[in-house]
Amino acid sequence: MGPTCQAVLSPSPRRPAPLQPPESRPPLPSPRRPPPLPPINRAPSASTCSFDLRRTTDPEVLAAMANTLRLYLTCIRNTLEAAMCLQNFPCQEVERHNKPEVELKTSPELLLNPVLICRNEAEKCLIETSINSIRISMKVKQADELENILAKKFLRFLSMRAEAFQVLRRKPVQGYDISFLITNYHCEDMHKHKLIDFIVQFMEDIDKEISELKLSVNTRGRLVATEFLKQFI
Amino acid sequence: MHTWVLNCANTMAFFSSGSQVLVEILTRIQSAERPMPVDHTFYEFGSIRYHVEASASDSENVYLSIATPSLSHEASPSSSSSRSRLPEPALQEMKKTYGKFAEMVEPPREGYVLTLKLNFSGLTRPKDRVKAINQVSLLQSVVLSSQLKHMLGSLGSSGTMKLVYSQREPFFVSKTADERIHAIFPMRFRDDTDLAIATCFFQELQELGNSLARAPKCSWSPIPPPELRGEYVHRLTTNGGFVSFGVLSRHVRGKRAAKTAWILLNFQSYVRYHIKCTRSHIQSRMRERLETLTEAIQNARLRGNHDDDRKPQAVKKSRPSKKRRLVSLAKAKSLRKGFRAVLDTMKRLRLRIRVRGLDRLRRQCQCFAVPRLPAPPRSSSSSRYHRLVQ
Repeated sequence: MGPTCQAVLSPSPRRPAPLQPPESRPPLPSPRRPPPLPPINRAPSASTCSFDLRRTTDPEVLAAMANTLRLYLTCIRNTLEAAMCLQNFPCQEVERHNKPEVELKTSPELLLNPVLICRNEAEKCLIETSINSIRISMKVKQADELENILAKKFLRFLSMRAEAFQVLRRKPVQGYDISFLITNYHCEDMHKHKLIDFIVQFMEDIDKEISELKLSVNTRGRLVATEFLKQFI
Repeated sequence: MHTWVLNCANTMAFFSSGSQVLVEILTRIQSAERPMPVDHTFYEFGSIRYHVEASASDSENVYLSIATPSLSHEASPSSSSSRSRLPEPALQEMKKTYGKFAEMVEPPREGYVLTLKLNFSGLTRPKDRVKAINQVSLLQSVVLSSQLKHMLGSLGSSGTMKLVYSQREPFFVSKTADERIHAIFPMRFRDDTDLAIATCFFQELQELGNSLARAPKCSWSPIPPPELRGEYVHRLTTNGGFVSFGVLSRHVRGKRAAKTAWILLNFQSYVRYHIKCTRSHIQSRMRERLETLTEAIQNARLRGNHDDDRKPQAVKKSRPSKKRRLVSLAKAKSLRKGFRAVLDTMKRLRLRIRVRGLDRLRRQCQCFAVPRLPAPPRSSSSSRYHRLVQ
């Protein structure tokens, strides 16, 4: 963890007011959102090149992509990069305990303003940051009944296997479909940029998987119906 | 995806009316070098019971008995198989179909609606025997369709009747004045997933039924069709709506009647099978996606298998001793943080944890030195912590 990260997210007396419930907050990021960080302490690797290309904020490149999903994901990626500068911080209430402050919310000075990124009413992402942990909650698009069923089924399937992901929360935050909890220990064990890559890839994959499942269910239904009616002919 | 879907659709198409088990047993009896005693009882489609019997002394004659559910809802399930007998027109049809190589045993065996004595010795060519065995395997559909035909005949020119092929899922058949038959299926599903999958299927079925010229017209609606007016409410309570097929006269003409009856009788099983296959498909896809995502999170680990993206092969070939060396180097690196970091850690420990008697122990035993650090001021309640790194 570099010094710049600590300067941005270390607790200070000038911390904003205690955390309000996200419902009472405006949906846009607060003006005190930390600025994007320069790439520090990142070892160059083969995947970094493609990663840098994808996370570019160049408006021309973004316009060329012409994809609202890409913009949405890029926004989430940038916010995560800024927010994911965590440090070890023991619990202030209980001795020899080290708990994710974003879950306990016992000390308001250890919490940052949550950031809500909305693509539309049905798709949004809430990023709650604290001194030693970050919680990312997502709401997945569910256009119709079938998508709703598939999304619910798939996300439940993943939540039941949360131990395979380490950062996945077994129970999502209320109002969201799936939640991640990343602590400073995860950041110590994993590459930060790859962790962010994983979150973004997860969001992409969920959307893609639900769309493909819906398509395959419809295609299969049509083929089976054709075969059934062919028996009469 | 498309290959899988096509394979499944083909499998669904083989929801055939012939009993494969029966074909296998009869073929084995016919191809046996020495006569062997056979006594098999088995079920098909949950409710159709077969009994095949052959003795070593009378090897040419094979006794085949079948028990089918009574389609009439008046008959109770326990008495349906024992007391009910096939109607006379159905027996005539049986004689006509299987007369070349089978005789009817009167009365049939206890608990069965029909017993046939099969004798294939009159058929000299193997090809004819195979054909005859395949014809016998269709016995279930012939029996059921003859029952259905008889019941429809007793219905008169128009009316609606309830048929119970499966105890849990009865359905209705109505006959209109213009000789058109409507088969109406109340669809009930156990959960929302089944309902969503079935809804997709019904929508496609309705669309295709109206577009294919020679197929029966199909409609699906959440409310009961007008033919079911006057039925009890509990029979019309569904969560999946009502699917109805408008069967035309050409679908029940001649030999097609048995096939059409078989298709309609097994429609609910067909839908259930489709739902089961689709659920299994969804599950397998989710498992595949889980593997992809798990791989992504494993790659993010610092000491994972794919730590160095540029040299994955080298990492795979590395020995455990090298790994240990890397770990030890990492440990040494952490130790080289300097005295200031150690002091900070101890300061934090001292701040948080109080070990009673530690000072006394330090004074008594001079073998180790604990640095005496200035205690932080506790009077200021405004700052509950202090910054460790400047």
